Amino acid sequence: MKIAVILRQVPDVVEELVIAESGRSLAEDEVTYITNEADEHALEQALILKARHGAKVSVLSVGGDEARDALATATAKGAEDAILVPMPFENRGDNHHLAALLTPEMKSAGYDLILTGLSAADQRDAGLAGLLAARLFLPYVGGLICVTLDPSGSVATVRKEFPGGRLGVLEVALPAVLGIQSAEQPPRYVPVSKVSQAKKALQPKVLSVPAPSVAGLPIQRLLKPEAAGKAEMVPGDVEQIADWIVRLLRERGIV
Amino acid sequence: MSPESLSLELEPGGTPSDATSEFLNRMGRLPGGERILACIQCGMCTGLCPLGYAMDFGPRKMISALRAGRIDDLYRSESLWLCVACFNCTLRCPVGVPLSDRLIAGMRVDLLERGVGVPPELQAAFERTFRYGNPFGESPKKRDAWTKGAGVDVPVLHEGDSAEVLWWVGCFASYNKRNQRDTIALARILRALGVDFGILGPDERCSGDIPCSAMGEEGLFGDLYRHNSGQLAKRKFKEILVGDPHAFNAFNKEYRRLGTPLDVHHYTQFLAERAPELERRMKKPITALVTYHDACCLGRRNGEYDAPRTLLETIPGVRLVEMPRNRENALCCGGGGGANWLDSYIWQRVRVPLPMQRVQEAAKTGAQILAVSCPLEIPRFEDAIKTSGLERRLQVREVSHMLAEAMGLVEGG
Repeated sequence: MKIAVILRQVPDVVEELVIAESGRSLAEDEVTYITNEADEHALEQALILKARHGAKVSVLSVGGDEARDALATATAKGAEDAILVPMPFENRGDNHHLAALLTPEMKSAGYDLILTGLSAADQRDAGLAGLLAARLFLPYVGGLICVTLDPSGSVATVRKEFPGGRLGVLEVALPAVLGIQSAEQPPRYVPVSKVSQAKKALQPKVLSVPAPSVAGLPIQRLLKPEAAGKAEMVPGDVEQIADWIVRLLRERGIV
Repeated sequence: MSPESLSLELEPGGTPSDATSEFLNRMGRLPGGERILACIQCGMCTGLCPLGYAMDFGPRKMISALRAGRIDDLYRSESLWLCVACFNCTLRCPVGVPLSDRLIAGMRVDLLERGVGVPPELQAAFERTFRYGNPFGESPKKRDAWTKGAGVDVPVLHEGDSAEVLWWVGCFASYNKRNQRDTIALARILRALGVDFGILGPDERCSGDIPCSAMGEEGLFGDLYRHNSGQLAKRKFKEILVGDPHAFNAFNKEYRRLGTPLDVHHYTQFLAERAPELERRMKKPITALVTYHDACCLGRRNGEYDAPRTLLETIPGVRLVEMPRNRENALCCGGGGGANWLDSYIWQRVRVPLPMQRVQEAAKTGAQILAVSCPLEIPRFEDAIKTSGLERRLQVREVSHMLAEAMGLVEGG
């Protein structure tokens, strides 16, 4: 059983996002990256499957040093193989681009399962797993909260959340691509000493892949959301605040 | 006793697991760690422990289990996460076993290294501290954002800069909105006294004491230590002033042990040395009955009980009253070690949370103000006051803020 997990590096919104002078991308020097949260869950689910079924977990990330660090952390947690696709800032694209980029490796390595987070913080189209499946001619199911494997290794039983509090249990023939919403348990903790050792020891397989030419959406202009009206905080004690509310309701003709 | 000679005297029928021997050998290589096997099983530690009643393995029984070679029993126990690093056990142990720093912290290292896991609340604090240098997950670039509202100049020392005093602000004081009031108060006092000081700004990261060393995240502590000692070495200063007793403890004990000796003072010590000058600058009284809560890291761990009291006595109108448990017998606020990030874990397993016990003790003295010298205690006690229904009776205030008010540097309350 071979499982691949894709760990996307997305801008960390703890730091303020700065738009580049061109107005078409973020400013490279100001971006700090973090592994996409749903992809962390995909890794956790893969490690759970590894513990249950003895699967071999490969992790794959695209980018620079941040991708290397993410791979090291994943190996410290228990992934066996790390694959790094170096990619300069200006060539990083959307999910269409990423799916095209990863398809040759995914095809040749012969994974039984390809897991990735359902959506990424920098793109809300929940597209990567589906796009990848389409390119690989493999089945896809997304929005999963649990994955179990048949002893034969040919079928996965997955739990998928539907709107309205409904839960679906589906069987998927392997190989397949799965979009993970959340793992069965929160992503595990690995002590910093082990991460540091893994960073020193990491020897990823480096894939130099030419940027694929994919028709995508060209970005015209990036804008920061503009603040609409501001909330007004009402000062005073309970009585004063109650008076203020009554006055406001009268002023607006509501009562 | 040299590490090589550290051996396990087995109780009848006991077989040491490899993990037990490895643990004891690792302890033997750390200062005082060999004392673990000097335990006389008197039970003073467990009897004194403010949460000992909730532990299936109190400190005494932990050592007993280790002697029996049964470290696995401890891995399965929840007791290790109940310790709040209050240092009571260590202070009172008649044979000097460093229970907080070696037994408990060391066992937590084992839990982490062997993948037994940590409670999720604490995991988040570890991850954020590693990534952002503070347990709140705030932007490291905004660490000095509070200075904009300080009303006085707070210089950030860059590489190569120098000042008489380097003020280590700390995570709570830098980021927590409620604590920032007290941080600004201290900045104004330092300015009023004409102290030549500066801060590290965004180059400062968590000192490592609160969430890391006591919680067994040695690798994270090492990472923070290397960063911080490197940054300190790039500035020239004579002494380091800290607001957080936990950082005081880290610098005073651990940084020194690891090769970075610093002339470190808690702000109460720094200001107490200048008490006569403060007294001359007092402009308005704070007429109140005040009780002071001794922070574990300042009091029991580092022996400073007088400085905060000296400062409170400089304020006209303040009348000091002691709680029955004071100075070295003070009850912990329950936030020490990394326990601040284990509140819901611990509170599910105990009868009355420690901060609630403590504010009730404070209220019983009749005091209107519970004065503190540790930033954690402000949010912890304020929450406890609300849940105990003591809002109209008791107020929690940092000593620095009270001084600044009496000096006319900040508004009261």
